[in-house]
Amino acid sequence: MKVSASATVRSQHTNEEDTIETIEMDVEGEDSGLLIGRRGETLRALQFMVNLLVGRRVPGRVIIDVEGYRERRYASLRTLAIRVAERVAATGRSITLEPMPSNERRVIHMALADHPGVATESEGAGDDRKITVFPKRSNP
Amino acid sequence: MKELIEYIAKTLASKPEEVKVTEVPGEEGQIILKLEVADEDKGRIIGKQGRVAQAMRVLLRVAAVKKDVRASLEIV
Repeated sequence: MKVSASATVRSQHTNEEDTIETIEMDVEGEDSGLLIGRRGETLRALQFMVNLLVGRRVPGRVIIDVEGYRERRYASLRTLAIRVAERVAATGRSITLEPMPSNERRVIHMALADHPGVATESEGAGDDRKITVFPKRSNP
Repeated sequence: MKELIEYIAKTLASKPEEVKVTEVPGEEGQIILKLEVADEDKGRIIGKQGRVAQAMRVLLRVAAVKKDVRASLEIV
């Protein structure tokens, strides 16, 4: 792609059987903005391609990040989740978030898993799948 | 750009020797990349709901920006 960037392995994990590996890579360089794309679109395409091209030949998973974008995105999703949850709990009305890919929805579900006042659920199919945060009835 | 599409297509194809990419000039200086694959590889190259083709187009856009041109991908 003729971009100026370099990739480094951030971490590598093996499971108990020493087989399935997760390799996390971080890409850095002057073209990193280009590699992230609008709302992470390019990073998503890159990740998809890497899974497709590498995934079959190597057991395990490769997770690509560009300049820590994924981590920053996850952090802002957690903040969003908590803010939305507070509003839902206060008003008693559910809120549906914008469509998100599975990894981002997972972050929201996890962030609110132990929340006393709300529950989460994904609805819709494919690229249109989105999370609804709804109030939990407090009576047991 | 051609190399990028060729690399992806050849890696995915069951018949990489039948992968052919040609650059054709389009309107207003745009470059059209025509990707030809064996009939049985078409599904693999396009992907479920066109996901593979879509990802190729996004990555092609990055390569095109770097070359300061506009490019599009046609699977024929």
